[in-house]
Amino acid sequence: MLSEGRLRTLNDFIEKTTKEELIWINGYIAGLISSAGPSVAEPAQPSKKFTILYGTDTGNSKKLALEFTALAKKQGGKVKVSGMDAYKPEDLAQEKQLCIIMSTHGDGDPPPAAKKFYDHLMETGTQYPNLEFALLALGDSSYPLFCKAGEEVHNRLLALGATSVFPLQKCDIDYQEEANNWFQLYLNSFPSAAPAPPVPPKKAPHTKKWYSGVIKTNINLNGHTSSKETHHLEIRTLEPVLYEPGDALGVIPKNRKSTVDEILSLLQVDSNLSVPYKGSAYTLSNLLTQTFNICHLKESQVQKYADLTGHEIPKVRMDLLDLLKIYPVRNSRQFIEFTAHLTEQLPRLYSICSSPQAREFEIHILVGKNSFEAQGENRFGLCSEQLNELYEGTPVEFYIHKNKSFRLPSPDTDVILIGPGTGIAPMRAFIEDRDASGASGRNWLIFGEQHFVSDFYYQTEIQQYASTGILHQVDLAWSRDQKEKQYVQHRMREKGEELYEWLRGGAHVFVSGTRSPMSEDVEKAWIDIIYTHSGKSAPESEAWWNEIKESGQYKADVY
Amino acid sequence: MSNPKTGEPNLSQVEKIKMKSDGLRGSLAESLQDQLTGALREEDQSLIKHHGMYQQDDRDLRESRAQKKLEWLYSYMIRLRLPGGFLNPSQWVALHHIAGEHSTGVIKITTRQTIQLHGILKSHLKPTLKAFATQRLDSIAACGDVNRNVICSAHPKQSRAHEEVFAYADKISTLALPRTNAYYEIWLDREALTNKEEEIDPLYQDRYLPRKFKIAICIPPNNDVDVFANDIGLIAILDGDKLLGFNVAIGGGLGTTHGNADTYPRLATVIGFVASEEKILKAVYEIITVQRDFGNRSDRKQARLKYTIDRMGLDAFKSEVEKRCGFEFEPAKPFSFSERTDYFGWHQNHEGNWYYTLFVENGRIADENRAIKTALYEAAQTGKTNFRFTANQKVILSDIHPSDKKAIEQILEKYDLIKHTDEAIPMRQNAIACVALNTCPLALAEGQRYLPTLISKLEPLLKKYKLENDPISIRMTGCPNGCGRPYLAEIGLIGTSYGRYNLHLGGDRLGERLNEKKYEQVNEEEIISILDPLFKKYAAAKKKYQSFGDFIHQNPELVTTR
Repeated sequence: MLSEGRLRTLNDFIEKTTKEELIWINGYIAGLISSAGPSVAEPAQPSKKFTILYGTDTGNSKKLALEFTALAKKQGGKVKVSGMDAYKPEDLAQEKQLCIIMSTHGDGDPPPAAKKFYDHLMETGTQYPNLEFALLALGDSSYPLFCKAGEEVHNRLLALGATSVFPLQKCDIDYQEEANNWFQLYLNSFPSAAPAPPVPPKKAPHTKKWYSGVIKTNINLNGHTSSKETHHLEIRTLEPVLYEPGDALGVIPKNRKSTVDEILSLLQVDSNLSVPYKGSAYTLSNLLTQTFNICHLKESQVQKYADLTGHEIPKVRMDLLDLLKIYPVRNSRQFIEFTAHLTEQLPRLYSICSSPQAREFEIHILVGKNSFEAQGENRFGLCSEQLNELYEGTPVEFYIHKNKSFRLPSPDTDVILIGPGTGIAPMRAFIEDRDASGASGRNWLIFGEQHFVSDFYYQTEIQQYASTGILHQVDLAWSRDQKEKQYVQHRMREKGEELYEWLRGGAHVFVSGTRSPMSEDVEKAWIDIIYTHSGKSAPESEAWWNEIKESGQYKADVY
Repeated sequence: MSNPKTGEPNLSQVEKIKMKSDGLRGSLAESLQDQLTGALREEDQSLIKHHGMYQQDDRDLRESRAQKKLEWLYSYMIRLRLPGGFLNPSQWVALHHIAGEHSTGVIKITTRQTIQLHGILKSHLKPTLKAFATQRLDSIAACGDVNRNVICSAHPKQSRAHEEVFAYADKISTLALPRTNAYYEIWLDREALTNKEEEIDPLYQDRYLPRKFKIAICIPPNNDVDVFANDIGLIAILDGDKLLGFNVAIGGGLGTTHGNADTYPRLATVIGFVASEEKILKAVYEIITVQRDFGNRSDRKQARLKYTIDRMGLDAFKSEVEKRCGFEFEPAKPFSFSERTDYFGWHQNHEGNWYYTLFVENGRIADENRAIKTALYEAAQTGKTNFRFTANQKVILSDIHPSDKKAIEQILEKYDLIKHTDEAIPMRQNAIACVALNTCPLALAEGQRYLPTLISKLEPLLKKYKLENDPISIRMTGCPNGCGRPYLAEIGLIGTSYGRYNLHLGGDRLGERLNEKKYEQVNEEEIISILDPLFKKYAAAKKKYQSFGDFIHQNPELVTTR
């Protein structure tokens, strides 16, 4: 970088300088560079960005982890926190800074909740040369193998090439003070840089861009006693996906191979049979798999089929396969004639429940199994069997469906997020986003489902957001946990006075979920709340509510 | 662990929680209101034990729920305070409905003569306790660092003095109740006391006891309550039908900790005899106060009365009690035990009333293989039977007038329960297992879910050696804490890890000698292959009236440690 002459001058200078002087100069120049502003310095990184991972038995490690998270956030840290039981060990490769808090159980074993993580670490051959970590081990010194599990994890990470930025800290049963000191020192060990300037939201291109990804996780969030089945899917991509919280993800579904094979065998035709479609020739198998919608045909299509084949068929909707089974076609030519009346598969849209601010190469969606019937086949329709077939590793092609009327307000504006059932999806995205960006406005979540025990989507995350101060209020309605059904609007009426205060203070209100009756009941509740707490007349209250809607202070994404 | 400045031992965490709890209130009101979690705040989890509850979770589901981003499936166990283990028929009917509405539905009889319900969600705690309160039932002090449920020889046929002895269970329980209104305020929504002075507790003060405290009363010659397993054991001394008083035994306790050599099971030591009611209650009270003042409050694993006595010396402990009582114990009276059992089937007491002791495997009253729960509900609905629990997890349909016996018998027959009781071999009838997995947070291995299967595998061996009518005692616990009194069994199995147990042998059949750990961490296959040759040798060489436990104890060379 330097010309030869200047380099020589520098080397001459260095030769005549003592080590202590060099250290001083090093600091001096670093100061010069940082005061020169971002044009010279590296792009500013958030100063304290790390992940806290805890392995808890009796709850002490978790308690510390949450306290530390709250403390770090207060000091401008950008912290993710997770229990080892919920953490995917493969994600370790992505971590740069890791703070581990774990206890020891029984005879020096890891706590059961940390077992999976521990075992993975002991067995893996993956090296983590870029990982820097610090570990706090909790234990009881009356046991001979005091803090053994923590010590083992510490040593194993070192063996896998990670760097310990802090000596292993062991704490006894009276851990609190020692642990606090340790963590404060840990925080102080991060270079104190100026807070990162706000990153302007990336502008998405206008044309529909297709992304390829791979299913990383597919979990049914409902507990085993639930009558619901709601899948949380995580898709990993190789490039960052340009989207904003509130957007949806679109895919064109493929029909199941087994269904297509059955149709082909019923027709007794070769799967490579060439069929003209839109001026080109395609194999029938391809058309049936990728192009046509063959599920739940419309009544009019069924009647066309009846006319063509001469069967008498009642006015119902049917799957193509059932139609062929019950009312066979005379020959394959007759079927090919019918294909002219088949419609193309429409893209299906799924609520995105993650924020690009929180994770760069990942996008999460939430899909309810029952949504197929509830929301019509054009939106959120994915057959339950298909949902279960999206194993880890399945490739998916998708695009982003923008939802410009469903956007977070400025960071300092309060938000009230009302998202019962799968309506929680965009709310999770919003909360993640507000957390990751350090938005100063308050966040109030109102959620409801059937049962507390089995249907509390993202419960452990919501608990963490509440204890780290990201969620300022959380209210929950469980419709079937007591004799009388209770919904989100019941909680709203109970908290009417505070909700009114937030609304009057300019809080933006988001609603997601079913249009009828949920969003209608929510709107009625708002009008009642305004009437009860504002002193306005009933018509005035309604008029004010309408103003709020028109001004965009109230945003609904309902279906 | 002591304070470097004062040299005083540091108080354990639980001690601090108790002292600042404001009469066991803590932040329970807030904990109950927290909608985000089914759990209580950590400190409140210690406090609810004193209200008769434990926070538990379904351990089988921990991993899957973590993946689902759901917290552990927390629920609560509620244990009633039932001195001597007695319910009237209307209380039984209520219990049946409460169990169905708020818990898993299974009514579990404990080894301390009471019942507990499991799987109660946080939001159901208050409704459950309110429903019990309408039947004048409570769970105060059923767990925690206080005097627990007082147990007493169960069967009224034991003696004409049974009723008089039995009444002591209630008197002692009342004597040692914590004086706080917290239970009524928190769970039953009663008004707070205006005068806090009413809550000044001369017995427990603001710190309660260093550890749990257990009291049992027995009527020789039956040691059905395992009197020596208790902190205080009262042994009734009778002259014919007349109760003369009690021999007092102190310092029993079974719990240990794996890998902690300073913990051990200990049988209570008889320290003397006390005669009048006034003196008996005074002696019990002062034994508790001495333990309160001298017990270890820094290390909970050294806090039971047994360790206090061994540390102070028996004589020093006794004289401190006598000093506080203002009288001395008389020399212990002679007594002897000849059995330790429940009297299964029909028996009559001296007044002519009938009693039917029903076999309930591991105390689980449910409609599983047999409709025991339905049958007992039907029996209760007749209003013609009371219910008494034994310290071995069984129930006695009791105090049945001769003219009502037939009606009750018909119900038992209708549900095939007489056959059910008769066809269980004595080993199964007398077996005890604790709750363990998947409910108890302390469990390292299975208890009640597994012991019945193991006995089914031992049954053919017993038959092979014609031992099926030998009431060899077998007890299993999922951890070393001793709830199922495994240290006092002829065959004791103490869980060490999933599927593995320490096998203890050589205890006597009367509860007067502890067994010894003979094998460590053995699995089912090993347990069977160890017991098979021992049963064989026992069957071939046993002397008349010699129990399996005595046989092993007297022939230690038979146990070949691997």
